[in-house]
Amino acid sequence: MEYVIHLIILINIYIILTTSSNLLVGLTNLLSLGQAALYGIGAYLSVLALMVFHWPLIPTLLFSMIITSLLSLLLAWPSLRLKGDYFVLATLGFQLIVFTILYNWVSVTRGPYGIPGIPNPKLFGDIEISGLWAFFVLSLVLVVVVVFLFHNLIHSPFGRALKGIRDDELSMQALGKNVTALKIQAFVISSAFIAISGFLYATYVSYIDPTSFNLDESIFILSALIVGGLGNIRGPVIGALVVILLPEALRFIGLPDSVAANIRQIIYGLALIVLMRFRPQGIAGNYAIK
Amino acid sequence: MQSSKMGDILTIQSLSKGFSRQVKNSAGEDIDEQYWVIHQLFLNVPRGKVIALIGGNGAGKTTLFNIISGFIMPDSGSILYKPDGKNLELSGMSPHLITRAGIGRMFQDNHIFREMSVLDNMLVADSAYLAERPFRSLLFRNKNRKEENCRLAKAMDIFENLFVVDNPFLEKRKQPAGNLSYGQQRLLGLARLFMRNYELLLLDEPTAGVNPEVIEQIKQLILNFIKNNQTVLLIEHNLEVVKDIADFCCYMENGRIALMGTPEDVIGNEEVQKSYMGL
Repeated sequence: MEYVIHLIILINIYIILTTSSNLLVGLTNLLSLGQAALYGIGAYLSVLALMVFHWPLIPTLLFSMIITSLLSLLLAWPSLRLKGDYFVLATLGFQLIVFTILYNWVSVTRGPYGIPGIPNPKLFGDIEISGLWAFFVLSLVLVVVVVFLFHNLIHSPFGRALKGIRDDELSMQALGKNVTALKIQAFVISSAFIAISGFLYATYVSYIDPTSFNLDESIFILSALIVGGLGNIRGPVIGALVVILLPEALRFIGLPDSVAANIRQIIYGLALIVLMRFRPQGIAGNYAIK
Repeated sequence: MQSSKMGDILTIQSLSKGFSRQVKNSAGEDIDEQYWVIHQLFLNVPRGKVIALIGGNGAGKTTLFNIISGFIMPDSGSILYKPDGKNLELSGMSPHLITRAGIGRMFQDNHIFREMSVLDNMLVADSAYLAERPFRSLLFRNKNRKEENCRLAKAMDIFENLFVVDNPFLEKRKQPAGNLSYGQQRLLGLARLFMRNYELLLLDEPTAGVNPEVIEQIKQLILNFIKNNQTVLLIEHNLEVVKDIADFCCYMENGRIALMGTPEDVIGNEEVQKSYMGL
């Protein structure tokens, strides 16, 4: 049972990641390779708030979300004026810079040694979120809130405006929409919610190091999103389920761990190729990436 | 051009836009040459009228529209827009601010949102910029819902009253707009412009590639704009349409207005017939 709960917590972390990224990739057609960097920033900021400031859960979460979204502005402001491949390259640059900082700023991040012993967050006073079940409930509450908020955003005039940008940016400008401002808002909101995943991951695993937030992780998040499907709520949820449950299924085949890891990568790659060819909108998405 | 009693809504003076291109000189060497797409163009657009722009390919008609709507910066000259007694210089303004100032644009190609429903194509064209703020979408859901219902009623009203005969939009309103026929997409592009009160509309070949029945519907829609005291600047190659609905006609050649007057005068002009229609 504990194993199942552990998987659900991981799935919840990835649902928040994919759902937040969907606002950018699925609704606004902005393919970003910097998602893991924002995920990492959220995690490290949460650790800072918990271990240095000794803040409880809600201030820690808010601090992590606000500062991550402000830092994302550094990326959004110059790069959202770029289009297509140039934007992808700008986000790749951001990802590499953040990883390099996390890896080499040893006095703050402990670099490759990582930060162990991250304390459990306190709800109020001395009530701690501790143990598998407590993290299960916390992750479930956060997922429900995030999915609810994004459902409302997608079906709001804001979501419709983002879909308009995705379909035809020129036409949106001709209808009086400030396309750059809308993209920046989407980027900042997406980043703020990605920080929640960082918080959950750091506090649940109680250890973080930069390798959890590298370019591979960004590609992994993007793959989960594309496999699940873009542009709606179902797709990102299904994507998170697939990428977490698929490697677990391989465990039961009886392959050694070293082989299973490689097979998993091959299966992800094959799944992407097959989907791009036969179902470019993903398993449950309603928009095919352009 | 003769101005209407209510004055001009747009005054363009000495407008120029050029590009440099490489050509070979007599010695066979590559040299840069300035090529003027728009050159010293003057135009007064009277309020509440339909003004047709005609001219051959490369005459500068679409470039002129792109400059007026802010998608291309002019090299020199002035574009003075005068809605409601105000004077706005459009050169250097962003496209979205020009639209918000009351200038609507229909492109030559069908720039509809193909993945969105027909109805959403209408709703997104509304001027509800406040409602599109994300925090408002999240925090004031009831207020937003009420406003959305108003927009919905407005869009349905446009569908019901604009297309009395052969109305495809009521039935297909929930379908993706990309499923509509080409002619229906042109009509949707025009219907979208009724979602807000533009003062000036720039329509780039609205009747291109559509059947005679749809051309009639498009003509009626353009006349509807005029009934609302809106002004229409129209690029049109179908001279029958120009004769039927335009109050004035401008013939463009080499980036300037070469001739202007009533449609009959301009289309009947010997020089225009020779160089544009090849008669």
